[in-house]
Amino acid sequence: MIDLAAKDIKHTLGKFLVTAMGVGMLLGIVLIMIGVYRGMMADAEIILDDIQADLWIVQENTLGPFAESSRVYKDMRETIYVMQGIDKSEALTFQNIQLPHHEKPVRVVVVGYDIYGSINPINELRLVAGRVLKNEHYEIVVTDKTGFALGEKIKLGRNSYTVVGITHNTVSNGGDPLVYISLKDAQELQFLYSNKEIQNSMARGVKNSESDMVNAIVARVKNGYDIEEVAYQIRKWQHKSVYSAKDQKEILTKNLIEKSSKQIGLFTAILVIVSTIIIALIIYTMTLEKMKEIAIMKLMGLPNSLIISMIVKETLLLGIFAFIFGNIFSHLTYDTFPKRIVLEIPDAWMLFGVIIIASILASFVGVRKVINADPSSAIGG
Amino acid sequence: MHQESAIKVQNLVKNFGKGENLVKVIDNASFEINKGELVALIAPSGAGKTTLLMMIGCVLEPTSGEIWLGEERVYNNKWIAKDTRKIRREKIGFIFQAHYLIPFLNVIENITLLPLTNKISKKDAEKKAMELLEYLEIADKAQSMSSELSGGQNQRVAIARALANNPEIILADEPTAALDAKRSISVILMLKKIAIEQNVAIITVTHDERILPYFDRIMKIENRNIVFE
Repeated sequence: MIDLAAKDIKHTLGKFLVTAMGVGMLLGIVLIMIGVYRGMMADAEIILDDIQADLWIVQENTLGPFAESSRVYKDMRETIYVMQGIDKSEALTFQNIQLPHHEKPVRVVVVGYDIYGSINPINELRLVAGRVLKNEHYEIVVTDKTGFALGEKIKLGRNSYTVVGITHNTVSNGGDPLVYISLKDAQELQFLYSNKEIQNSMARGVKNSESDMVNAIVARVKNGYDIEEVAYQIRKWQHKSVYSAKDQKEILTKNLIEKSSKQIGLFTAILVIVSTIIIALIIYTMTLEKMKEIAIMKLMGLPNSLIISMIVKETLLLGIFAFIFGNIFSHLTYDTFPKRIVLEIPDAWMLFGVIIIASILASFVGVRKVINADPSSAIGG
Repeated sequence: MHQESAIKVQNLVKNFGKGENLVKVIDNASFEINKGELVALIAPSGAGKTTLLMMIGCVLEPTSGEIWLGEERVYNNKWIAKDTRKIRREKIGFIFQAHYLIPFLNVIENITLLPLTNKISKKDAEKKAMELLEYLEIADKAQSMSSELSGGQNQRVAIARALANNPEIILADEPTAALDAKRSISVILMLKKIAIEQNVAIITVTHDERILPYFDRIMKIENRNIVFE
């Protein structure tokens, strides 16, 4: 049997491909939107995966430094360390700041850690140039996305820092690049007020005694100990909120990204609906253009099934071509977006399934037109 | 010589609307057309030519009466066959005012489309199509698209398409409407040749008086009935 769909597409190949490209760009945007969500999820997990803590000990009744303000005394590190079941513990600070750059300031999250401590938040596998911090002061490790070069000086607070290492793909859950400085520098940056501020506070009778604070204590649990039980003991005796790595991941991914993911999900759904409507309109127009031929085919006695299969096949092919173009478009452009886009094959297959269903739905308008086409309209005028 | 009946219509009635809006288009018409005959159907606009053609072509259901196509009674106050398209596919060929070839199929594909739907093998369908193209003297255009052919060539391809399923009847709706006098006569002579050589009954709707002398009979719709001149 003659493949009517293939013949029709071949006859108007240019028009078909341009249409498929247009719809493909929409589908490419859908893939990128899903990629943005995946990127956010991946970004959220980087910091947790690099620190590899079993427990996050934070200010009581707070969700921890990624969700809300949390302050604990640095010496809590030692208190936690001596508790039963704890293998290692470390104090960390997290602070959003803007680094001065040549063109415009770069927003970053500064992670402060004890360079002599037992838990190092820098994943050395991500280090693409230089080294980790070795001196207790005025050294900084930055992410390549910040645009700073090795050896460059950065003015931060009262001091000047030298870039000693560059990492790749280290970002916070918000997508801001991560930079690392020593804990002492970080504490000073976060908790030490300016001389004028201190003078002012002293005049008001307020003592600035909180400079030995950190934002969280992280700990690793010894083998053989139940993480939940150790967390329970810390909550009970130290009056702190304690989260396992799994809890922390949930806070980051569910609580913080939930709204964004819902927004992205909604955008994605709207784009899929728009794509379906566009495909339906295109197929409807393509069917309208062929109404005379369809009426003739029906008059000649060709079964509806043959004509309907042509419409459905054309719609499916349009969907498939659009999907291919969408993938090409998304893979060509995803790297140019400022935030991380993670394109995953299962997402593409999921979209493929959705677009096949959408194409079948879209073909209904054309099919309806075929069923209702009056063969007698082929006769006369 | 015994003449085989191709179309037999008895007491055919076609009304549109109901009650006060009832319009009688064909009222108690009876006629018979034999195989090998070329018949012109003439009537003023709106007299029911297309309606009659569509009823014979099993496209439009009559109100009452009987229609025989060859030896098969296809209508007796209701369609006897469940699938009227199958009757069209197997027994009837259509020719239109314009060629109305399917623009995305080439000449040979346009001709073989119907036989292939009738489960004729591709080889046999193409062989028959080539024979028809040779018969109509356009075999060299077999692989051309209709957009590459002249109006006259396209109309020949349309005739070949109408003949491709070995029909007993060809219903032609003003096939010469778009042609000049010389080409119109040439097409009618070709239809006459086909009617005789292929033993097909051809009813041709026409307004063109110049071609009327070439028909075997002229059928008129007068006062909602059929009369032969």
